[in-house]
Amino acid sequence: MSARARRATAAAVLAAAAPLALPAAASAHGLQGKTDLPLPTWLFSWAAAIVLVVSFAALAALWPKPQLQEERRRRIGRLPEWLDVPAGAIGIAFFGIVVYAGFAGTQANAQANLATVFVYVHFWVGLAFVSVLLGNVFRSFNPWLALARGTGWTYARLRGGRAWSSPLAYPSWLGYWPTVAGIVAFAWVELCYQDKTHPENIAGLIEAYAVTQLAGMAAFGAETWSRRGDTFGVYFGVLSRLSIWAREDGVLYVRPPLSGAPQLPLLPGAVALLTVAIGSTSFDGFSNGSLWADVSPDLTDFFSNLGAGPQTAVQWASTLGLAVAILIVSGFFWLGVRGMQTVGRGHTARELAGRFAHTLIPIAFAYAVAHYFSLFAFQGQATGYLLSDPLGNGSNLFGTAKDTIDYNFVSSNAVWYVQVAALVTGHVCGLILAHDRAIALYPKPREAIRSQYWMLVVMVGFTSLGLWLLSAVRT
Amino acid sequence: MKTGTRWAVLGLVVVVAVVAFVIAQSGGGSSSSSQSARAPATGTAVNGTTTPAAPAPKVIVVRNVKPVGGVQDITVKKGGQVRFTVQSDSAQEIHVHGYDFHKNVPKNGSVSFSFPAKIDGGFVIELEKPGVQIASLKVQP
Repeated sequence: MSARARRATAAAVLAAAAPLALPAAASAHGLQGKTDLPLPTWLFSWAAAIVLVVSFAALAALWPKPQLQEERRRRIGRLPEWLDVPAGAIGIAFFGIVVYAGFAGTQANAQANLATVFVYVHFWVGLAFVSVLLGNVFRSFNPWLALARGTGWTYARLRGGRAWSSPLAYPSWLGYWPTVAGIVAFAWVELCYQDKTHPENIAGLIEAYAVTQLAGMAAFGAETWSRRGDTFGVYFGVLSRLSIWAREDGVLYVRPPLSGAPQLPLLPGAVALLTVAIGSTSFDGFSNGSLWADVSPDLTDFFSNLGAGPQTAVQWASTLGLAVAILIVSGFFWLGVRGMQTVGRGHTARELAGRFAHTLIPIAFAYAVAHYFSLFAFQGQATGYLLSDPLGNGSNLFGTAKDTIDYNFVSSNAVWYVQVAALVTGHVCGLILAHDRAIALYPKPREAIRSQYWMLVVMVGFTSLGLWLLSAVRT
Repeated sequence: MKTGTRWAVLGLVVVVAVVAFVIAQSGGGSSSSSQSARAPATGTAVNGTTTPAAPAPKVIVVRNVKPVGGVQDITVKKGGQVRFTVQSDSAQEIHVHGYDFHKNVPKNGSVSFSFPAKIDGGFVIELEKPGVQIASLKVQP
């Protein structure tokens, strides 16, 4: 609170222009010029019907022997590891430019500052799409990983070839949990934090994030930490399992669609990673809905009565909403797992949850596409003017500073079709992955089918929730 | 069932679903296209006659930097005309997102907007400086 007061005083002193942007509570990101229209009823009903028909047909008709459990990848050619050096340098350069823009650029208009748009649109949404289309590209460009690798290399050079030995062993119980915490933190900043679009704060936060990653890599080793604790690295890495492209030890492979997902390591926190991702995207949708518009004022009043200031009360209300959304999504998945546990013997709920965690990857991606496709399609066009004027101070480096966003670039109809297609496809992929895992896991085909009634409920539930969120949007 | 049969069943179901969807869609599509064909016609009629047949433009009253009666809804079909008036007891800048129209309303005065609905989607209309939403504009495709 005192920091806020100090900042307010500083702003008053600086007076004149720079109004410390009161965050617009209007739209979830404070970035959209155009928001999605609610999914029309006819499309909603059709999507739901298709989901049900496909699901039951799948139960009867899917293959009787596991097809995806072993990764049958085909070697394409070499994509040598030294390529990661220039890629990492590009990543570090981007990181530097974004942080610089956040601190030095305009604070008054978040849409005109590269930092805000880049972090929420290009990085968080864009890289998720890229990871599925092209594989785990981010790993090569990952700036903090590149910094750690570079530092490690220099260190070994100086010490006459003796590599840095990390002082701590990564505890096995920790698994993906640092990543889970990171996703919750990012979602909170994006959806609840009252200064979420303030460029300076974004720059400060990503700097703090990078420092944390470097500390984690120094303590536990760059490779280990980057595959467990680096939130963004792990999140994009998990999504890239949906890609047909894989790269390992400098070799590029192509693999059948979906065959990367079953290889998701069974680490503690794997389930939470995905349910938290789905839960936070759900809350993003839900907070744009009319139900939230009805409930949130009461919640805000409640927190105001507890003594919170008007903006802090709004922030607490959305924090509560986010937590509830994550709990509902997680609880729903665990309910399905509990159901599955009643089938056959010898499987604990924890084990089953882990074995079916990867079936949530396509659902998580489908939710991301359904909710962020339009943000990416429209706000992504900001690239044009931000390239020429990254700080929002009127420069025009490439002559594109006057470019504007064409909101007719994608019609509302097209957005609806993309949303529905994403959810239905994600649903089908989730079913396929669950089916394949079940027949590999259960010795009797009968048990496999019976266990899948439960997963079917989970998948239909998630898809219906996704469709409902899109249809309940309040503009 | 043999694997081949299973695939055949699955394929058949998907084909039936898609065909049914397309048929229903083309039905729905023709009705919506006839509607959208009608919309511009009304628009020209409005321009042609001196007394507009369209409903009276919505009036949004702003008191104490808040819209009276909560955030107002304005729904227009694409191709139609968006009309609304803002009355305010304080001087404000009104911003229509997406269309990016800015107009000032003086203290205890009013300002009117009228523009063609060229972009479909949802748009926030807000008091720019305090960042308070006063209306939401829906342009249906």
